[in-house]
Amino acid sequence: MKNWSLMSDFVPVAKVSEIPDPGRKLVDIDDRMVVVFHAAGNFYALDDVCTHDGGPLGEGELIGLSVACPRHGARFDLRDGRALSMPATKPTVVHEVRVVGDQILVKLNDGA
Amino acid sequence: MPPAGPTNNYLQSASHTERASFANKKFRTVSTLAQPTFTQDAFDSFLSARQEPAWVRDLRLEAWQKSQELSLPNRQQEEWMRTDVRLLRLDRFGFSAERAIGAATPDALLSHGVDLAGRTVAIDSHVVTAELSADLARQGVIFESLDTAVQRHGDLLRPYLSRRVVNFAADKFAALHAAWWSGGTVLYVPRGVAIQRPLHMLSALSAGGTDLGHTLVVLEAGSEATLLAESASIARDAAGLHLGAVELIVQPGARLRYVNLQNWSSGVWHFAHQRGVVDRDARLQWTIAALGARLAKVNQHVALVGAGADTEVNGVMFTEGRQHLSYHTLQHHQAPHCRSDLLYKSALQDESRTVWRGMIKVDRDAQKTDGYQRNDNLLLSDHARSDSIPGLEIEADDVRCTHGSTAGRVDDEQVFYCRTRGLTRKEAIRTIVAGFFQQIFDRITIESVREALGQAIGRRIREYE
Repeated sequence: MKNWSLMSDFVPVAKVSEIPDPGRKLVDIDDRMVVVFHAAGNFYALDDVCTHDGGPLGEGELIGLSVACPRHGARFDLRDGRALSMPATKPTVVHEVRVVGDQILVKLNDGA
Repeated sequence: MPPAGPTNNYLQSASHTERASFANKKFRTVSTLAQPTFTQDAFDSFLSARQEPAWVRDLRLEAWQKSQELSLPNRQQEEWMRTDVRLLRLDRFGFSAERAIGAATPDALLSHGVDLAGRTVAIDSHVVTAELSADLARQGVIFESLDTAVQRHGDLLRPYLSRRVVNFAADKFAALHAAWWSGGTVLYVPRGVAIQRPLHMLSALSAGGTDLGHTLVVLEAGSEATLLAESASIARDAAGLHLGAVELIVQPGARLRYVNLQNWSSGVWHFAHQRGVVDRDARLQWTIAALGARLAKVNQHVALVGAGADTEVNGVMFTEGRQHLSYHTLQHHQAPHCRSDLLYKSALQDESRTVWRGMIKVDRDAQKTDGYQRNDNLLLSDHARSDSIPGLEIEADDVRCTHGSTAGRVDDEQVFYCRTRGLTRKEAIRTIVAGFFQQIFDRITIESVREALGQAIGRRIREYE
């Protein structure tokens, strides 16, 4: 069930131990598909959407601090969602991540 | 026990509900007693409660079997690459055996000021009203719930329903619909009967409700009719599910005008397979308008199966919020000397998204085909997105087939010009959007439809600064 009051808050999405490094988990936050990546010791959260053709980034290959879309290979920076290679030219949405104890929390970025 | 779901208002008993609804008709949204959704047990009790002729039951059983073999579509499939249904919780929805009593039906837009020859109203797949003018009934016209029609006119309808104009095995949603269809409307017009006044059908959804309506239209040779169909939710923003199918059979020389306005609330999942079969020298004018739904995936197919068949397909879409509307059209030319003309136009606001994937398919025998398809998209915000994918697949060697597709933003110079003439920015955008849709409104020959669509779109245009 949707809880709109949580819209601008951090919500727990996984335990730290659930996502190996490197690894990822697909979560549904307020009806939005978000991928949480674990790479080089940090956690990152991105929309599960490639801005080129809507491809599922959660199924893409992790290359350092970037992910390559499984459809056409467009790469996105995990830190800021920047498009690093063609065919994507626009950034994908990144969300704020916080780790409290063994919980990973994500706050949706609604501005985009 | 009611299942966990998006509804918050389960009805305990019908009589209780009726009292409650009279006391508080204006605000109360009636949610339905959903059965535990699309399971074998639920299907068995659904079938045994319906007492239908054996042939209807057999069609359902075959489709149910298929639905159990198919899994939900995923994005590996070409047709679903751009349409993400991972957030759909099918187990929150289901056929409701009890009808939502006392629910105030939403206002119909298309029938405003129209002198109707008949109308049907359905709520959550239960037809609650079915009316037809007496002189048409005398001429053999049938316009009623498909539920009752298969009982009363089974022999007449059997060949049409058994034809399976819509492929029930196309995907899991089509199969579930074919197994569980309920309510729905049939329009049957006998040979040579011309109905001058339009017929209207309204399908409504309560909060959390499921609509499984099946539309069957049969126009026998030389007959004529206009059918206005619209869907709407009783509660704004409420969740809901539509698993539907539309079958249009237009026999030689017949003329059908069919308008379908999808105006669900922004929480509704809409899955529909719609197909028209147009025979020799017959004409189908089919207008689709889509304003509502959270996510819509529609397959709209026309098959031209007799020489000289003519179809005109119009699509109007206006989206907002995070809506996602996906339309997959097919103009299938199976016979020579046919014409098909498709024009889809969408205007998008906010973060909404439309997908149009169109195909003109011309069989080897369909020489002298004249096929056209065009899709225009007007992006009113920086975050909206439209995907437009026209296609041709031609096996005959003497045809004329063309297609076009455009996507663009509102022209700043046009806005500037309007403002120099004293219009506010909002008025300017409104004028430009109206101009964008004018081309399609010019093709819609029914005045009430043009007006209803124009007003509905006008109301939704935001303030852009």
